[in-house]
Amino acid sequence: MNGSNQRPLLQLCGHYFLLCLLALICIFPFWWTVVTAISTEGNIFAFPPTFWPKSPSLQNFTEVFRVIPMLSFFKNSILITFWTVFWKLCLCSLAAYPLARMHFRGRKLVFGLILATMVLPSEVNFLVNFITVTKLSLVDTYTGVILPNIITAVSILLLKQAFEEVPQDLIDAARVDGANEWTVFWKIVLPLISPWLATVGILSTVEAWNDYIWPFIVMSKPDEFPLSVGVLYLSGTYGSSTRVIAAGTVLTILPMLAVFLGTQRFFMRGMDGAVK
Amino acid sequence: MVSKRLLAAGLVALSMVASQAAQATQAMQNIEFWTMSLKPKFVPYFETLVKRYEAQNPGVTIEWIDFPGDLIQTKLVTRIVAGTPPALVNLNVPWADEYARDGLIVPVDQLMGAAKSTYAKAAIDDLTFSGKTYGFPLYSNVTVIAYNTSLFKEAGLTLPPQSLDEQLAFSMKIYAKTGEAGFSPSLAKADGFMLQQGLPIVKDGKAVFNSPQHVALVEKLAVAYKAGGILKDNLFSEDNFPAAIAAYNGGRLAMLSAPPTAVKRIETDAKDIYAITDVAPAPLGPTGIVDGGWLIHFAVPTGVDAKLMPAIAKFARYLTNDENQLAFDKLANVFPTTIAAANDPYFQRLPVNAGASEKAVAIGAESMKRSRTLYVAGIDDYDELRRSLVNAIEAGVTGKQDPKAALDAAVAIWNKKLATQAH
Amino acid sequence: MMKTSFKQNLQAYLFLAPALVLFAVFSFWPVGYGSYLAFTDYSLIKPTHWVGLDNFRYIFDNAMFVAGLRNSLLFLLIVPIIQIGAITLAVLVNNRLPGIRLFRAAFYVPVVTTISVVGIMWGFMFHEQGTLNYVLLQLRLVNQPVGWLSDDSIALFAVMFVTVWRGLGWYMVMYLAGLQAVPAEMQEAAILDGANRWQRFWKITVPMLRPTIMVCSIMSVLAALKAYQEVLVLTQGGPLNATFTALYYAYDQGLKHLKLPRGLAASFVVSICCVAIMLLCLRYIKPKHR
Repeated sequence: MNGSNQRPLLQLCGHYFLLCLLALICIFPFWWTVVTAISTEGNIFAFPPTFWPKSPSLQNFTEVFRVIPMLSFFKNSILITFWTVFWKLCLCSLAAYPLARMHFRGRKLVFGLILATMVLPSEVNFLVNFITVTKLSLVDTYTGVILPNIITAVSILLLKQAFEEVPQDLIDAARVDGANEWTVFWKIVLPLISPWLATVGILSTVEAWNDYIWPFIVMSKPDEFPLSVGVLYLSGTYGSSTRVIAAGTVLTILPMLAVFLGTQRFFMRGMDGAVK
Repeated sequence: MVSKRLLAAGLVALSMVASQAAQATQAMQNIEFWTMSLKPKFVPYFETLVKRYEAQNPGVTIEWIDFPGDLIQTKLVTRIVAGTPPALVNLNVPWADEYARDGLIVPVDQLMGAAKSTYAKAAIDDLTFSGKTYGFPLYSNVTVIAYNTSLFKEAGLTLPPQSLDEQLAFSMKIYAKTGEAGFSPSLAKADGFMLQQGLPIVKDGKAVFNSPQHVALVEKLAVAYKAGGILKDNLFSEDNFPAAIAAYNGGRLAMLSAPPTAVKRIETDAKDIYAITDVAPAPLGPTGIVDGGWLIHFAVPTGVDAKLMPAIAKFARYLTNDENQLAFDKLANVFPTTIAAANDPYFQRLPVNAGASEKAVAIGAESMKRSRTLYVAGIDDYDELRRSLVNAIEAGVTGKQDPKAALDAAVAIWNKKLATQAH
Repeated sequence: MMKTSFKQNLQAYLFLAPALVLFAVFSFWPVGYGSYLAFTDYSLIKPTHWVGLDNFRYIFDNAMFVAGLRNSLLFLLIVPIIQIGAITLAVLVNNRLPGIRLFRAAFYVPVVTTISVVGIMWGFMFHEQGTLNYVLLQLRLVNQPVGWLSDDSIALFAVMFVTVWRGLGWYMVMYLAGLQAVPAEMQEAAILDGANRWQRFWKITVPMLRPTIMVCSIMSVLAALKAYQEVLVLTQGGPLNATFTALYYAYDQGLKHLKLPRGLAASFVVSICCVAIMLLCLRYIKPKHR
């Protein structure tokens, strides 16, 4: 069936050791946050730092729910994230396809323009965008939050590259068979790039979930803020507890980790027959 | 680019239509006011306040929104630029100074009217720029010193410091005997620091902070820094308070300069340290002004509908009247800015079994009389200049550069800038 | 060049229409208007006048911006580090070993953490008496606590490290997706031919990853030039302007102090640099078209 079925044990151990070391560096700060969130006693800022919870309990987490409207924030985050990703995948794949596989006049120009948006720093854009959104009466609406974020050059670039991996003969054959461009796109090419769609989808989900400046600017009622903004309320000047802030942070990060773990199989295709 | 022009035209058309539609006339007057980072603790306070006012004033609806302090500036700026500012916004004095100069907030003398005399003179002075008042004072803060009695004992010290020199000397002693740092001045506010020590920053339109006395101050700090007495973490950060309080809670800092509200945080975050904490008044400089004055007030942004102004004035006076201030300050461990409220016995009396945080309130109240928000007013681009001063002090204190040379260089930068701003 | 029919053009533009409209409204318009404002003295209370290059002269005269520009260019150092690191991670987890899913998630944690929390956590790690120094002292790798964020000669590298830390997982995901395209049969044929892992990696994997590497590298270069968030949460430009980046200066001036024309002038300069570097990249790395 496959190639070597059994790796030398030493190599396997080495592999795991390396993985563990790297993983430690990556999750170390997060681990400290979790420990702080679960502890109820002890000195958070003690030196040497504590890496194991003292008197663990979930009370900091329930405190978070008591102090800020977490459920509303969750609901808002889910709505905003879902629609952002949905429309992003639709519009960016629609835009990437002609750039990859169609002939038309002005193709280089359009591609250049899209690349240009990547190059131009957009961090200060939101002032002007807010004026636009106000003039379009989209302040305080989720539409206003979503619109600027659903087309990004990065997604278009990635999907364009994905489309370019689809064999040209497949497309030519379909065109010769009389299929119109939309059918080629929808029925043939799009399904073939599903691992890339999943990848772009996951990256966009995380981006949308963690985005906080733009939703903060567009929405005016605090109950309508997404979670990324909502947790900032835990640091109220005159009544904050570092542990509760840590708990709020953990609650914001966990859903994304869960999403990532759950969707791995969508972009880890092609593993059949891989070398173990 | 044809499509872009078409689009711009389309946008303009759309905006015209939208603004017509949005011009709904209101019979009710809606006042939106913003506070800074006061949720969730003060939700009941503000909700009852709003309900009470609305009951007494039919025809007016009050909307209270609270925003995190880090982001409120951005939010305010975007709303002003878009033409939909709130009626009142919570600000601190340096922000108010900058905004007043840039035209983002408007003077409120007329709105305040006779009520002006009920506010503490120091508070009004803090909010007066170019002769006009720019805000309704709400509350203020003052620094006290929370100190770790066991570290003090280990270093052989029994009494808290009475002056900056003593603070520095104690810090060096504490480090020598215990290996922990003594204190952590907020040197990002070096301008206020120098002012408090009676050293002027600007005189007659010229920077003067390279005089021998200024240099001597920096040298004193450098000596303490080298000896380990000053906490090195985030010493020159814009906000070094989180690092300082974390170090204090971890037992790595002997003296913490903090407002009384922060002393309360020590109680929740580090009970063991809280138990050995005692509180003392912050040392007065030669000016007799206490460090850490920080006035929070309500300002009126530009672009607010003129028709709403009388209603706004009435509500603002209500928000900051004696009764409401007293209630707020009891909840927050801060200090009022009206004369009557400040004289309330609540602030003078020390309850039985006073822990550190109750003591902090009493001591703070006593110091309030001598509190002013210290910074240099009236200069364009002040923040940049301040940063060059802080950098110079940083270079001098950490030993990277000779203090006199560093200060001289910074003075040159300031004078170059000030010359172009001949007011 | 094939002459394209009207129908073909129309179809293509129909596909592109929604994206182009949104780009025009939310990308080109603000950038265009912002770039125009960089040449004016826009302020809320006074009428706006054209001032030509005044704002640019101001920022180039300013120590913070100049330091920022230099640091932004230094940030380019992280590009090879992140790319090589991400490819390594992707290769390490591109298998079916037990528990490998958890490792992938672990590497992705830095990406998922909100930036403000990253600032708090790493700020704490980097303290003179923080965790990192503690570990290093225990392991006897250093004799004295290192001022990661307070020493102006290393603070920038500490900030760059955090940027790398945050970015590795993101690019790892992209490379993982790219690796899926490497056909297993090729690998097996190579094994049968006696090629060892190293040879397989260089002769098969890397060439097949080429399109992904190119896209990622370009994105990485642009991200490095535009870095500012880590500065915002860790050091706010200090110590002694050592960690200022050009865009942090733009953000600080434009949004916190509302000195829009200056912030926009700084953004404009960064844009020019980005365009220049991008053109350089595109020239040297001919994209593999079809």
